[in-house]
Amino acid sequence: MMLAQRAIPRDTTLGEWFTDPQSWTGSAGILASLGDTVVLCLAVILTSSLLAVPTAAYLAHHRLAQVTSAWLVNIGRALPTFAVAALLVPVSLRGGYGFEPWPIFIALVLLTVPPMFLSTYVAVREVDPAAVDAARAMGFTERAVLRSVELPLASTVIFTGLRVAGVQVVATEPIRAFLGGDGLGRYIRDGIGQNNATLTIGGTILIAALAGITGLVFSATERLIKPYGVRRLRAHRKPRSGDADEEPDLGDTDEFASHHGAAVGRMR
Amino acid sequence: MLAITALLLAACGNGEEAADQDLDIPDGPTIEIRGQDFSEAITLAEVYGQYLDALGYDVDIHSPAGFRDEAVSDLEAGTLNMIVDYIGGSQAQLAPDAEPSSDPDEVMEIISEAYADIGATVLDYTPAIDGDAFVVRGDLDAETISDVADMDLVLGASAQCFERPQCYIGFTDVYGIEFADTQTIEFGPLLGEALDAGEVDAVVWNDTAPQIEEFGFKVLEDDEGIFPAQNIAPILDDSLIEAYGDDLVNAINELSAMITTDDLLDWNFETDIEFRESDDVATEWLEEQGLI
Amino acid sequence: MSMLLAARNPILRWSYFLEQWDRIQGAIFQHLQLTLMSVLLGFIISAGLAAIGLRYRWSIGPITLFAAFVYTIPSVAFFGVLRTTPLGLSVYTVLIPLTGFTLLILVTNILDGFRAVPASVKEAADAMGMTPMRRLFTVEVPVAVPYMINGLRIATVTIVGLVAVAGIVGYGGLGNLIMEGIRRQFWSPLTIGASLSILLAILLDLLYFLLGRWLTPWARTARS
Repeated sequence: MMLAQRAIPRDTTLGEWFTDPQSWTGSAGILASLGDTVVLCLAVILTSSLLAVPTAAYLAHHRLAQVTSAWLVNIGRALPTFAVAALLVPVSLRGGYGFEPWPIFIALVLLTVPPMFLSTYVAVREVDPAAVDAARAMGFTERAVLRSVELPLASTVIFTGLRVAGVQVVATEPIRAFLGGDGLGRYIRDGIGQNNATLTIGGTILIAALAGITGLVFSATERLIKPYGVRRLRAHRKPRSGDADEEPDLGDTDEFASHHGAAVGRMR
Repeated sequence: MLAITALLLAACGNGEEAADQDLDIPDGPTIEIRGQDFSEAITLAEVYGQYLDALGYDVDIHSPAGFRDEAVSDLEAGTLNMIVDYIGGSQAQLAPDAEPSSDPDEVMEIISEAYADIGATVLDYTPAIDGDAFVVRGDLDAETISDVADMDLVLGASAQCFERPQCYIGFTDVYGIEFADTQTIEFGPLLGEALDAGEVDAVVWNDTAPQIEEFGFKVLEDDEGIFPAQNIAPILDDSLIEAYGDDLVNAINELSAMITTDDLLDWNFETDIEFRESDDVATEWLEEQGLI
Repeated sequence: MSMLLAARNPILRWSYFLEQWDRIQGAIFQHLQLTLMSVLLGFIISAGLAAIGLRYRWSIGPITLFAAFVYTIPSVAFFGVLRTTPLGLSVYTVLIPLTGFTLLILVTNILDGFRAVPASVKEAADAMGMTPMRRLFTVEVPVAVPYMINGLRIATVTIVGLVAVAGIVGYGGLGNLIMEGIRRQFWSPLTIGASLSILLAILLDLLYFLLGRWLTPWARTARS
């Protein structure tokens, strides 16, 4: 029978830890922990995007709830994820749902919905009115305008928002290990507990690598599923500065008395 | 923040008490003490700290942090000049290669030498023993640790346990136990939660944990004797002894002689079952004993 | 968990508030102290970095890259790694990461602020015979202030959340109460630590919002 967690002496080097097959297997091994983290992060990203993107697109198309959205986004962004997750732990335990996944899941969803919502809202609202009017003149229904014109044109910014949020989730998820859960954060937790720098740094490398890969996966996915026409459009037109790699920002408008430099909203 | 409170308390206390208590305490360094980060150790630090404070010494009880590693390294670094530790644990930390022993005097001999190397002195140990305990659910058909060798149990223990021959390494190497799986769990009540919830089948805890009775767990006998003697001893930086001399040493030894295993059980019941605070529990006990 | 234990350990025991007010107060104080120290320190460093960036344009790239790199280190990892260095349990284990996390936010906002000053305005100021110093303080800084306030706002709110995370290394203000609650499986300190952290973040966010309005009255009058 494989031992999940062996004694990891403090003089173990990073190289030894990473190359020892036993570090990778078992219920506390790297593979299992990676699996825990990936599953939770995917669930969070899916849930948040399903909640945020359609809602924001709809509201932005109809120019609805601008003030309310702005306030909710702002308050959502102020919520400290760690505290929210911690607050939910006893509630979850009382309900018989255990230490995880609910508290950390809900906290991470709350972390990611605001930036996703904001980027989608802004992107759809900022679509060139001429394009929208042209579509309407051609007899598009409002629904078709949103789906076939606004969303494709807004897709670059929406994707950027999703990518930023995705990386944010991966970088934040390790707090779960400190609230009675598992995942890649466990190595940092155990490293602190054992005063074992190898474990802490090893865990950090794993998390950083996963965050990097997440960013790449998002970019690749974006390339794969972005509508052909939009890709051509971008190729022909020099993108406005701020289009491509920054999260949008409503700082200058009345409705979103919001943050400048929103790309660096809150990363964890 | 405990430190802040303690400082405030110390500040208030000194004014009145120093006057009518011991007047011949020489000038010397402030006694810097800190509990390891679990209830019993926090209460112990409060007991020793408040006691010395009441005697008129300058005491700063830091907020609890870290475990033995940090306690010992901060003693070496001078951030702390007094720690309170379990002697068997100290041996595992400072002399990991020495033979574990259930005889406290043998252990004392080993650790006294080891602490002397870092300029510290181990004072008398307490009658109180907080032994390591191999704890299982009450319905498990076993009385000794040997009994579980072939049971494919899932073991839960603190991260530190997995590093020690007196703990995990002893179970595998001395007892020959093959665990089905192992989990690192932070030392303290989480061990009981995990055992109760069936996430693990056995945990390594301390036998003064009140939850053992509360949850109906049982402690298996250490028939191979891998657990060391775990009496409690205060360890002082030599600078304190130089400054305050035998008065301080005798005062501390007097206190240590009064702490029994039952006291530990009572304190832990108060802090972990009744959820009272260690500083209050310590004050109350010292008052009952007529020490402050 | 036994029923007996559950009854003694509600999600919040109100009496805990009164009995342990000293500790709660101490935790709030430490939380604010760490937040203010790291934001202030971060602002000083960021102002310096931004000044270098504005003087030597080529350095903006490397500066931003550096700040972005620091920013992407997961907080638990940063605290954890420093915790295992000789810094150990000292305040620097917490203060260094916290300050580091503010840099990207503050540097970008300060730079944005100064770059928002139209060239024509600067030329006009020069034409009026202003010395560069005078131009900086009477023309450029007022334009950049709203950006700085905004940066400080995001930085402060972010740091309030991260100070709580610093509880994992025992130096985290209200985060210490959260971790104590987890360690003891005692919910009152956890609930209080967590709720107060959230409250603090929202309050400070609001405070900055009001401060921004008060400091830049022209932003509103211009629109109405």
